[in-house]
Amino acid sequence: MFGIQLAGNLLQGLVLGAVYGMATMGLSLIFGVLKVVNVGHGAFMMVGAFVALWVFNGLGLSPIWAIPAAFVLGMALGFIFFHTSMKRLIKAPELASLLATFALGILLEETVKLIYGADFHGYNWIVGKVSMGITVMPMSKIYAFVGSILIALILYFWFTKTRGGTALTCVVEDSEGARVCGINVGRAYALSFSLGIGLTVASGVLLTMFIPVGISPYMGGVYTLKAFVIAVLGGLGSPYGAFFGGLIFGLLENGSYSLFALIPGLEPFAMTRFFSFLILLLILLIKPTGLLGTK
Amino acid sequence: MKESKITKYYPLIPVCATYLALFIIGESVPGMWQLVAMLAFYCAIGQAFNIFLGMTGYVDFGYVAFMGVGAYGMALSVERLHMVEGIGMGVVFLGLLLAVVLATLLSLAVGAVALRLRGAYFAIATIGVNEGFRYLIEGAKLWGGSEGIVFYGQLAKALGSETASQVSTFWADVFVFLIAFMAACITIVYMRSKIGYALTALREDEDAAKVMGINVTKYKIIAFITSASVAGLIGAAGWALKLTNVFPPQVFEIHYTVECIIIVLLGGAGTLLGPPVGALVYGLAKYWLSVIIPGFQLFIFAPIILVVIVVFPEGIMGLVKKRWRGTGLGKFIE
Repeated sequence: MFGIQLAGNLLQGLVLGAVYGMATMGLSLIFGVLKVVNVGHGAFMMVGAFVALWVFNGLGLSPIWAIPAAFVLGMALGFIFFHTSMKRLIKAPELASLLATFALGILLEETVKLIYGADFHGYNWIVGKVSMGITVMPMSKIYAFVGSILIALILYFWFTKTRGGTALTCVVEDSEGARVCGINVGRAYALSFSLGIGLTVASGVLLTMFIPVGISPYMGGVYTLKAFVIAVLGGLGSPYGAFFGGLIFGLLENGSYSLFALIPGLEPFAMTRFFSFLILLLILLIKPTGLLGTK
Repeated sequence: MKESKITKYYPLIPVCATYLALFIIGESVPGMWQLVAMLAFYCAIGQAFNIFLGMTGYVDFGYVAFMGVGAYGMALSVERLHMVEGIGMGVVFLGLLLAVVLATLLSLAVGAVALRLRGAYFAIATIGVNEGFRYLIEGAKLWGGSEGIVFYGQLAKALGSETASQVSTFWADVFVFLIAFMAACITIVYMRSKIGYALTALREDEDAAKVMGINVTKYKIIAFITSASVAGLIGAAGWALKLTNVFPPQVFEIHYTVECIIIVLLGGAGTLLGPPVGALVYGLAKYWLSVIIPGFQLFIFAPIILVVIVVFPEGIMGLVKKRWRGTGLGKFIE
């Protein structure tokens, strides 16, 4: 009985993990290229969640349409933020860029609060369910799963097969060397920041396809923290590492929930949050380059 | 010019004058005490946070966790010890002591992992500390779990209800003033000693400092633990003793860390007078904004932070210090 429950939970964790992984690729991309940690990460995901809400409730369209909309909005936000502030902070001490991204996050949260208020919102997208023997999976979650994998694959091919993508890879490896080879590093910074924010905002939509409730201006903080754990799991700065880190994290989170629920006197939901923090510290302690890191 | 023993502590004068002026205004102008207490609280957290952030340049996003465990130290002391015969005010002092002990222990645990890391990795390691500790308390149902600790009744039992209300409405704030003063003294002593010079070298270039034979890890740990234990005291006096309750979601709220960072950065990181100046500017602006447009403080502060970081990252006192260097006033500014 417990075995079936655990297996079902793990399957759910794998599906959620793909969404988590995709949601962390933007963070890792920005860190990889600019060496800037986006501390406002969750706030950008929150913007994506509200785009999904607006497309579904406001326009009456399927949330799938919100993915490209959120991506374009995210690219635009990234472009504006890069040219107004981030551009000047790349070479500054960490303190400056950390605080700047945090401030951008607050700015987004407060702007959304002005429009939608601080209440929780949700939407109800009914597209059927699939019984998988050990668990029942709503189709919306499967769409989110497939969507995440597709986006990750597109990004993978873009990075390895196109000129722009390989140029970015070069900047990640060695920005000075890339400059010597004639790559416009300044443009690579702008592109990767916009792309990273675009991916992050789009991932907010996928997240609401998995969890369509609890959408509020302040929902992002939890995901910032999870994204850090995932990014570190996969080796900070590697977008694909982040994707696999997400899968591992989804399994760990749901698996540990099932185990904590067995122990009397514990609050399993809060314990999984504590557990993910422990994972973060352990990895930073033992292997800061991440489980998949090679350096 | 070699600085004599006394003149090198001159920069304490403007800081003490600021605190004294605040205290006198709060005492003599009716209805001002609440505002002054808030400003003193901001001065104290800014001054305490500056010991670590200002001197090392490392960003500790989990700083509020030390204030949180400090608040728990006070709450636990009052809750568990109030029935001890004749304990009286001792319960409060034991609470402050326990706050320092808990904050030191937590900072040792966090520092052991996080201080081995640099820059971005350090910030990531610390950003989860407050959340992690909060969920440990809630998840393992430690120290009252998510229900927190409410201890006004116990405090009144230990001190008598009249003294208890005096302590929570007046003496708690006086403690905060004293802690702010103490933090300023620690800052100047550190600045004028080997610790300060080592940390300056570390902040400018950690690798070079290491090569020069400076034990950077040792000095980082000293600054980290000092800053954390003062935070524990502030949590105990400014939160637990003042409010006579502790709830995990409130005392581990990351926005307090952000307020610390804003205050230090606005005033000037690594300067002595910076935190009080930043605290006064930030506190008064926040108070004023909450009166004229309630609920929009953060909406206005976020762009201000961005402007400060991009346009003048040295902060107010950083600029003043540069302008006044070498003049007669210069030796009062640090």
